[in-house]
Amino acid sequence: MTEATSGKKSLSMTLLALGTALLLVSLYCDFTKTYSGIGAMRGAFLVIGALLILAGIYYIPTVLHHRAIINCIFLFPLLFTFAVTVIIPMFVGFFYSFTDWNGVTFTRMVGFENYAAMFKEPAFIWSLLLTVLFVLVNMILVNLVAFLLALLCTTKLKGVGFFRAAYFLPNLIGGIVLGYIWQFIFSNVLTKILSSPYSALAKTNTAFIAIIVVYVWQYAGYIMLIYINGLATVPKDVLEAAQIDGASDIMTLFKIKIPMIAATFTICTFLTLTSAFKQFDVNLALTNGVGTVRGFMGARLSNGTQMIALNIYNTAFARDQYGYAQAKAILFFIILACVSLLQVRISNKREVEM
Amino acid sequence: MKKYLAIFLVLTMFVALLPTAAFADGIRLFNGKIEIAEPLEHAAKVYEEATGKHVEVESLGGGVDLQATLKQYYQAGNMPEIFVGEGKTDFDNWTGMMVDMTDWEWAKDTEAGFVDETGALIGFPYTTEAIGLAYNKSILDKAGVDPASITGPESMKAAFEKIDAMKDELGITAVIGYCANATELYWSTAQHLFGNYLDAGLDRDDTTYFDLLMDGGKLDTERFTHFAEMVALFNQYSDPALLVSGNYDMQVSGFAAGKYAFVTQGSWIGSSLTNQYKDLYAAAGNFECGYVPYCFEEGIDTILTNSPSWWAVYKDGNVEEAEAFLNWLATNDGQKIMVEEAGCVSPYKSCTAIANDPFAPAISAYTAAGKTSAWHWLNQPGNLAQDYTGIIFQDFAMGILTVDDFVADMADTIPQCIK
Repeated sequence: MTEATSGKKSLSMTLLALGTALLLVSLYCDFTKTYSGIGAMRGAFLVIGALLILAGIYYIPTVLHHRAIINCIFLFPLLFTFAVTVIIPMFVGFFYSFTDWNGVTFTRMVGFENYAAMFKEPAFIWSLLLTVLFVLVNMILVNLVAFLLALLCTTKLKGVGFFRAAYFLPNLIGGIVLGYIWQFIFSNVLTKILSSPYSALAKTNTAFIAIIVVYVWQYAGYIMLIYINGLATVPKDVLEAAQIDGASDIMTLFKIKIPMIAATFTICTFLTLTSAFKQFDVNLALTNGVGTVRGFMGARLSNGTQMIALNIYNTAFARDQYGYAQAKAILFFIILACVSLLQVRISNKREVEM
Repeated sequence: MKKYLAIFLVLTMFVALLPTAAFADGIRLFNGKIEIAEPLEHAAKVYEEATGKHVEVESLGGGVDLQATLKQYYQAGNMPEIFVGEGKTDFDNWTGMMVDMTDWEWAKDTEAGFVDETGALIGFPYTTEAIGLAYNKSILDKAGVDPASITGPESMKAAFEKIDAMKDELGITAVIGYCANATELYWSTAQHLFGNYLDAGLDRDDTTYFDLLMDGGKLDTERFTHFAEMVALFNQYSDPALLVSGNYDMQVSGFAAGKYAFVTQGSWIGSSLTNQYKDLYAAAGNFECGYVPYCFEEGIDTILTNSPSWWAVYKDGNVEEAEAFLNWLATNDGQKIMVEEAGCVSPYKSCTAIANDPFAPAISAYTAAGKTSAWHWLNQPGNLAQDYTGIIFQDFAMGILTVDDFVADMADTIPQCIK
């Protein structure tokens, strides 16, 4: 028994030591840019080193913590991936927002300059306000259209399955493609039908409406499916009871169906809210954010239809101000996080009430 | 259990070793002109046959943000040996990471390379493009308009009026194919056309108006007003269906089909006429093409020619092989492919190949006569056109702005970008 334990202990120690050594060698080669000779093996060393360390941890002679160790080893791939793709970039991004990073190098730390600058930039404030307006309008419109479609698709019409699929279909097309399709419709088809020389996309206010139309068209089908699901959960006996009591369809809708699916409304409202906030692809493909705005904060703006996500993208990729864009992205993150927290709170409250 | 573990470890090792072996050989070229992807790959193949050295051509374009892609490559430690850049804004990203090519063989044969502020030659030129008011010679001949007679705003206006009056007789849709769609063609209006305000009529090294622009976004009101009057003329005589809501394909195919006497696009549409729209072009009689200077002031007699972009060499890559390849590409062997297959106008003096391009004779004539100006707009901030001034050209085209409003809006907006 003791022999086995000590054997295990020495095995575990050897594996750990070997693994750490390989890891360190590979990291050393990478940092010093030694890519030839032993450096050419750095990738293999890294992987093998990491596996040896895992094996070493697995063989640690302990009965008490053995189960915990195994759990950790099984969780490791997921946690590692999550850290590499989400946690670490977030902190690095937070750090970059305090620099003048241009995507390749940064020359100095600028403190809160980036954060102060964005509130003095009329174009950004415009994008922010426009996005809020866009979110409010869409939250109402998408839900209204989706709910009406859901009501339509839960009646005993012929070919309801076809209609459901047809309404949902736009959601399966990627935003960029969809943007270009609609650009063609606005520029080449609607101009001919209305015999107007210019498409709706050429003027800021009509272009904004155009984006809303396309967005509702794209998203209402998806939300409709959720409402259909919600409506299907309304118990039949309650509806029958109402019918026997002589309630009209309108009364059934407002007094029974809507209150019964209140939770669905909450979900759909927040789904549209967060996704409208993040609107990017349709915006990019349809107008690329251009549009004239006069006299906003005393300036003439050229980014009349630019939502906040596109504004951040352009700041980074067109203007090469990655640090500044990162600061804007942090603000955007905070706004979205607040909205999401609010969502969780409200839905929890409602669930308790029910 | 241990046996399986051991086998697994050995296997992983081989897998991990594979990529390092695969990338060890040859160099990579990051090309930003997707139109010339095939000829370039052909050139690389010919080079490999001649020297045994492999060149991997990676072509991106058509709306892909090249510099953003490059930055991703850089972050991933995957930089190509040779990469494209469109002037100062792009190359400023890579300060100190590019090789000075002053002493390389090809540099002795051309003056079109990109030189940075410190005097280092960092950009390899591979083609020459021209910006001028392109015309369809057969329509002008039929209308009895001599392109050489267009030398200033009055003669341009007279020619436009004459052709406009004969539209039905000539079978054309409009005098000029000009499109100011701010989403799709901001680069045509706010970079190429605007470039004429900066350079037209000036010597190649004259940066008077460019310097003024970069000094807080200032415009020379008199010159710019004259420029605006020319744009107003284009607005008036362009095809209304194209003017605001059209796109590049409509514009170029319309010109190829002989619908417009003039078009506001440069020499790059030459290869579209002979390839993409060759049926339309043939139906319109394979007409001759040429350039009139954008003469918004009397005496402007130059068209704008330049390398549209350059290739830089990454310092930490395989510099020797990159040098060998670029030197080879600049010789007649390489230039023959670039000129005859890719339709490039060679920037190299020793090149003898002649491009099969409708615009090539016109460019050669202007170059031989010394009547060319440079493209200083390449050095304006990359997002000026897309984010700021493109929409003003569109507003102007829609008739929302008068000439004075246009000038005022430009003067008001450019300083938001160039501080």
